[in-house]
Amino acid sequence: MVRASRNSTNLECAHAKRSMSAITFTARLVIATQAALCCTTIFSPAFSAQSATAGTAAPLELKRPASVRPWQRYKVDSQGSSWPQTRWSNFSNLANAGVSPPAHAAPAFNLPVEGDAERGRTLAYDRARGGSCVVCHVMGKTTPAQPGNVGPDLSTVGATRDDQSLFNYVYDPRIYNANSIMPPWGAYGVYRLDEVRDIVAFLKTLKEPYAIADKTENPNTRPAPVESRDNLDPTENPAMFGLDSGREVFMRKGANGKSCASCHAAPETAFKTWAARMPRYEPRLQRVLGVEEFITRHGRATTADEMLMQSNDNIAMSIYLHNLANGAAISPELSGAGARAALANGQSLMKRKVGQLNMACVDCHTRERHANKWVRGQYLVESKGTTAHFPTWRTSRGDIWDIRKRFQWCNVSVRADELPPDAKQYGDIELALAALNKGEKINSPGIRH
Amino acid sequence: MHQIRRRLLKAIGGVIPLAAAAGAGLLRAGNALATTWNKTGFEAKAAADALKSLGVTGAQPSKDIMLTTPDIAENGAQVPVTVTSKLPNTQSISIIVEKNPFPLSSTYDFSSGADGYVSTKLKLGQTSNVIAVVKADGKFFTATKEVKVTIGGCGG
Amino acid sequence: MAEAMKIRAKMDGDAADVKVLMSHPMETGQRKNEKGDLVPVHFIQSVIATHNGKTVLDAQWSQAVARNPFLGFRVKGAKAGDKITVNWTDTVGDKGSIETVVAA
Repeated sequence: MVRASRNSTNLECAHAKRSMSAITFTARLVIATQAALCCTTIFSPAFSAQSATAGTAAPLELKRPASVRPWQRYKVDSQGSSWPQTRWSNFSNLANAGVSPPAHAAPAFNLPVEGDAERGRTLAYDRARGGSCVVCHVMGKTTPAQPGNVGPDLSTVGATRDDQSLFNYVYDPRIYNANSIMPPWGAYGVYRLDEVRDIVAFLKTLKEPYAIADKTENPNTRPAPVESRDNLDPTENPAMFGLDSGREVFMRKGANGKSCASCHAAPETAFKTWAARMPRYEPRLQRVLGVEEFITRHGRATTADEMLMQSNDNIAMSIYLHNLANGAAISPELSGAGARAALANGQSLMKRKVGQLNMACVDCHTRERHANKWVRGQYLVESKGTTAHFPTWRTSRGDIWDIRKRFQWCNVSVRADELPPDAKQYGDIELALAALNKGEKINSPGIRH
Repeated sequence: MHQIRRRLLKAIGGVIPLAAAAGAGLLRAGNALATTWNKTGFEAKAAADALKSLGVTGAQPSKDIMLTTPDIAENGAQVPVTVTSKLPNTQSISIIVEKNPFPLSSTYDFSSGADGYVSTKLKLGQTSNVIAVVKADGKFFTATKEVKVTIGGCGG
Repeated sequence: MAEAMKIRAKMDGDAADVKVLMSHPMETGQRKNEKGDLVPVHFIQSVIATHNGKTVLDAQWSQAVARNPFLGFRVKGAKAGDKITVNWTDTVGDKGSIETVVAA
């Protein structure tokens, strides 16, 4: 129907023919002979199930990192939105626990707390510093647009709390609530002590209940966003360009003259459920391997292509392989000792408080904590039901993100140093998310805000 | 990595020239018919000046124009805007985003049987009124709707 | 250089419903690249759609149209099998084109 795609189909056919004939006269990897027995498909479910056994496992390059080293944080993404460049090495992250200072009492302060309430309000509403208190709280009649509701409405906090508790709470809420999601603004140095005093002076002025009449402004009545876009409509989702691209990378000859299609001549059948069974524990690496890292390592070992994680080729291939598994239920292998240990570690990492804002994955993304609430105008989704669409087109960023980039962005958003995409910890978390989303149907590429 | 799109485009380069070649002949015809780009209107910094550039005077709000937008856009990078005009003999639709630095976003001239309908996605710098300006039977009509742009909590 | 496009056209009542996605950065001239330099303004200015060779829609755009622009329009009186083409020209003279046949 469409000229462009018809031609691309022809292209595929030509490549496929060439690749298949290449197989007939090329003695290559040990698996090639086995592959020939099962119609050149090495990734039949049966094969994959025994992939843990040495000798029959998919060839992988095991020595080199699968992403850029030294890892450097992105500066700007394609739409020009910047990534923060601050380093937060004095706080815990997913690789280093126990770095962040523990809760401690505020330094001595005078009562009553005196400060500049006007300056305090400016600080409380300033998105550039703390991200603004309004991200989580309604704050009386001067509340700016689209307040959030992760924390309680503070409109009358000046009438109900004394100076000491207000100061302590802003300085380090863990003084009262060890598991608070609220960042230790003073203790972790987001605000200086004089600024904490100013914020408290502002909070003391909040004495009148404030009912937000506008249904879309009030975070308690604002309708939750509904995702209704057809993510597979190529005129709707620009990530569908990536699908075309991935198909071509699959057919393209690598540095050694082989293409993916040289061994996988019928990808539509061979990969019907493959991506749904990823990530998986890989004994040879002794850690969890996701689709994207697999592409890098398997590519190096077979076509000699260097498809580093989060490179264009890698993301395109990831889209293609996920898309081939569309409709398949997420079903990670969780039975081996290695997988069980990785799963447990992933679950534990999701509870680790990280970064200057001192937040854990579960704080924002589980219903037991604060999922399904608003941070400013943004809705916090649960971890369940949010992985089957990766890689995904992000309308706000103008970019296609794999799941590891999503992890990196979340880390940076809570002001924790992100890890390279092939970090073991991300693999463990990805496995924990796959376990949580077991049974969800793959639907990729996705489209999200 | 901001170049992912670029590199994706490069990667699908094999497809592009085919499409381009297919359309080459048609392009010439198209160019001959294209109206001159409304420089004055597109460079106007106030909605009123943009309207003036379109020749709009005394435009009346009309219930026969359906302006469909989200009440709250998930972000300002691509806000879906659809305009349907039931006005007889709809000749053109223009879409103005009042608070954008350059309010006039686009103009659509219809001929030879195109419906008075257009659907697009626009950038909104902030929460703003969106105004659809329809020219029908030589007269101008409008429809206006406010679109709230989501303010992010953690930046994305 | 022309860039990739996607198009879908199908009958909906007495009109063909056409949807097009054009791959284009639609640079506003405001954004900075990784080195901190402004990326020059670069956007699609003109989009022309034809039905069996006759122009039905002549659009003029500013940089306010979103990156990877989407365009939807309807052609009254079109029939399944009719030819729809969409051509664009941007501020640096690059062009893109795609053609499809209206599906039933």
